[in-house]
This record gives sequence, structure tokens and C-alpha cells, in this order.
Amino acid sequence: MERVLRRIQRGGIHPSIKGEVWEFLLGGYDPDSTFEERNILRNHRREQYYAWKEECRQMVPLIGSGKFVTMAVVAEDGQPLEESSVENQGWLVKTAITDKRLLQWMLVLSQIGLDVVRTDRYLSFYENESNQARLWDILSIYTWLNPDIGYVQGMNDICSPMIILLEDEADAFWCFERAMRRLRENFRTTATSMGVQTQLGMLSQVIKTVDPRLHQHLEDLDGGEYLFAIRMLMVLFRREFSFLDALYLWELMWAMEYNPNLFASYEKPENRGNFSEQDPRLLKKYGKFERKYVKSGQNEQHNTLAVFVVASVLETKNKRLLKEAKGLDDVVQILGDIAGNLDARKACKEALKIHEKFLKKANRQ
Amino acid sequence: MSDDDERGEEYLFKIVIIGDSAVGKSNLLTRYARNEFNPNSKATIGVEFQTQSMVIDGKEVKAQIWDTAGQERFRAVTSAYYRGAVGALVVYDITRSSTFENVGRWLDELNTHSDTTVAKMLIGNKCDLESIRAVSVEEGKSLAESEGLFFMETSALDSTNVKTAFEMVIREIYSNMSRKQLNSDSYKEELSSNRVSLVKNDNEGTKTFSCCSR
Repeated sequence: MERVLRRIQRGGIHPSIKGEVWEFLLGGYDPDSTFEERNILRNHRREQYYAWKEECRQMVPLIGSGKFVTMAVVAEDGQPLEESSVENQGWLVKTAITDKRLLQWMLVLSQIGLDVVRTDRYLSFYENESNQARLWDILSIYTWLNPDIGYVQGMNDICSPMIILLEDEADAFWCFERAMRRLRENFRTTATSMGVQTQLGMLSQVIKTVDPRLHQHLEDLDGGEYLFAIRMLMVLFRREFSFLDALYLWELMWAMEYNPNLFASYEKPENRGNFSEQDPRLLKKYGKFERKYVKSGQNEQHNTLAVFVVASVLETKNKRLLKEAKGLDDVVQILGDIAGNLDARKACKEALKIHEKFLKKANRQ
Repeated sequence: MSDDDERGEEYLFKIVIIGDSAVGKSNLLTRYARNEFNPNSKATIGVEFQTQSMVIDGKEVKAQIWDTAGQERFRAVTSAYYRGAVGALVVYDITRSSTFENVGRWLDELNTHSDTTVAKMLIGNKCDLESIRAVSVEEGKSLAESEGLFFMETSALDSTNVKTAFEMVIREIYSNMSRKQLNSDSYKEELSSNRVSLVKNDNEGTKTFSCCSR
């Protein structure tokens, strides 16, 4: 695993094994497990996924049919809607839906469909309708299983690469599920707030600490909430980077954040407290970013690297932001110019530097 | 043609585009601002914006148009951008009646978060898809009438009415501003209390109606 982490930092891994490496990076498998152990676990997970899929198919026969909906199937009061009859050959909700969880889920299925048809459509992979349907299936099933988060736009951007990289739909689901373990809080929304605002708050703290002048300037422009950075954090820079560059950025970030105990902490959350022992020989097994926290003994919830990557992006535009931005619109404009002009490795390297600076300054205060 | 007083005079209007997911908000905006249509456009996460200028009475009027995510879950964040908007386009998709039924909710949302909009327009987009139309022109028209909105059907795909719709909103804001300007001095106070500033910049003689650039 250490070798893999180094390889990623040197330039990425071959596309043919990317999916499998991601499963490790995201804590899907124990780095010390044998091939045989992993096979057993993989089969077990596939069975589990297909059981869930069957459960969902019972409720909505379109799941797994290779087709999906973009038109609403039920009204908000649970009454069946004819609107969708144009597209879904034969299947219609016949009686009013009264179960709250089921209704919430059915209401969002068309939203997922609307986003699926516009997810990475420039890729030939998604010209194929059955691949679009796989994306719809996975997102729908995830949504059914996670009613507290539900479906929020942007999750499609996170899920799409998994389906391309992992051939088996169940494997793609689990890879997505693991990625969402890190990201899901961003997608938790209420009527008055969005989860991602927690990370925006951290970003604000970071900039305030490492570049007080820029922070003050943004605050003067009424941008102290950093709402303009929402997209970067929610879809992990998918819109700022090309498809392939974003994948490389993700794996760099995950490699730097790698924690060998991730798998165990997901599988046996009750043992979470037992991983804090500090064996210096083990430190090599951690990613560069994570290592700093382990060293300093801070094993609690901490900032994610993504926040520092956004900070590094802001820093590259520091001069223009200070000089040219006279309103929030200018900020958005200046940051908009970065699309396609970022280097993943450089951004991560800068992010680590900012992280170091932040820890130093924060400790001094 | 314009005399010295007017030279360099510039107006900046903030406009928001709201409405359900996938009704074509982003493509309406890129059609207007850049004359482009992207069939592979993605869902908007949070907010994006573009500016476009036009000339009215020899004055340059700049519209700063904010495009918002359609999914309800984003409203906590997108509604922050309604503040100070003087114009709004509420968009539905003529092929999906649910997007039309939600128009009332978007109007409520707008009224709750912004009391500065002077020009609102209801837009039935995708009128190129006549064969699968689900909302009639009459339905759109009558809703607009009862809510006091301008109304137009557009197609971002084939450009029908897009420019006309945006310019109508911008003209309405402009004429509203000039009328009020002529009518009362107290309007300036009223505007600033609504966070819409009417600032006379001495150096450039720039007039700005906006909340977002102070």
C-alpha cells in the first residue's frame, strides 16, 4: 500500500487498476487482507447490493430494467401522476402512496433521472442508455438506504466515475458508498442550511489564519461565508478540472488522506477509539496529510484536504482577488477562470503547504 | 449624441433566474449572454452568473444575471443571492406540468427573500417541443396575469424570444428606475434602505443599482 501511495503521488495509477486501488484508498478493503479474504468480502457485498436492489425493484419495477424516469411518478401528496406515462413503458403508480419514506423516495426518482441524463454526457460511455440506467439505479438505491441524506444534485458527479471504473455494478455502488462516507455530510440539508457550509466555515477559518488580508477583503465584499466555493467542495472539483484530471486529483487527495485503519473503523465502528496508538513504524502507512494529524495526536474529526485544496486555489488567485474583485460577482468571475487551468499535483502540493502553515499558526494562537 | 452629463453613465441591474430543475435556466442564460446552447450542460451546483449589456436611451445598461440550482435542497444557499435583485425570471418547462405547478412556490420564495424586484417575468421554456407540450400558452398567460408578471414562451435551443425576454425585463427595470428617479428624491433613501444602492461615483459618474457591488 505504501508503494501505491507513492506511485499515486508520482503520477497516478494505470486506468485498468484505478477502480481497485480506489476501493483500498476509500477504506473498502483492509490493506493487510489476503486475496482470498477480499474475494469473500466482495461476494458478500455483491449479494447484499443485489438484495437491496431487489427490494427497491419490488417497489419500483423500473429499477434494474435498463430504463428510468425523468418525469414525476407521484405528486407531493402521494397521488399517482400520469405525467410519466410518456416515458416509462407500462409501469405507473396505481394507488396513492401513504408511507412517508417511500413517498420521499419516489418523489426524488425523477430528479435523479433529470440529472442522470446530463451527467458527463460528452463521454461516449454515457451515450449508452443502459449505462445511464446503471447510474440511476445506484443513486436511487443509495437514496433509499440513506433517507437522512436523500439525493442531492452533485452526488451524480461523484458516482459517475465509479461506474466507469468498476465493471460490476455492485462494486461501483460500494465504491460510491465509501466515497460518500467522506462526503455525505456536505449533502445533508435542512430548510435553512446545507451541510457543506460546515466545510465552508473551516475554509473561512483557514484563510483567516493563513491570509488574513484576503479574508478581510472577501468579508468586505460580503463573501465571508465563502458560498462561492460550494461547488468545488460538493462535487470535489469535477467542474474545475477535466474528467481525467479530476480523477487524478481525487486519488491524490485520497492517497494523502489515507489512513490504514479506515477499513476497520468502517467495519467495526465500536472499535474506533482503539486506533490511536502511535507506532512510529506505522506512520509510513499513512498518507502525507493524515500523517500530520496522527503525529500531533489529533485523531478526532479534522479538516479535510479538500478545504485546503480550495484554499490553495484561492491563494493562486490572491493578487487578482485583492486587486480586481470589487464585488462578489468579480470573485465568482475570477474563480471561474480557473476551470481547465489547474494542475492537480500542484494544487495538492500547495494545499499541504497551506495546511502546514495553518497548523503552525493555529498552534501559536 | 449623449451630452457630457450622461457620458460614462452606467447602470447595473441584478437579475435572478429561478425555477425547477432542468427547465433550462442555464441554457437560457448562456443563449442570452453568449449565444450558445450546450446540449450536454450539467446541473448547476449552487449559483453561477453571467453579465450582458444593452443600450437604452444611449446609456449602457449592464445586467448581472444569477443562475441558480433548481433542486429544492439548495434553497438555503441560493436564496441568499436573491437579495437586492431588481429583476427575476421564473422559468418552467412547457413539457412538464409539475414545473408549472411549482411556479407559485418560486414566487413565494422570491418574495420572502427579496423585496426589491420591480420586474418579474414568467417564462415557459422549451417551446420548440410543441409535440409534447403539457402546459398551454393560455395557462401560462393567465397565471402571469393573475400574478402580475410578464409572460413569454422561449426556446433556448432555437433562440426563440430569449433576447426579447431578457431585454424586456431589463427595460422594465430601467424605466421603473428612471420614472421613480424623476418622481421623488426620497426614492434614493428608499433604495438604500432596501440595500439597493444608488451611488453617484464622483470620479466616473457611474450610477449603480445593485446590492452586490458596494
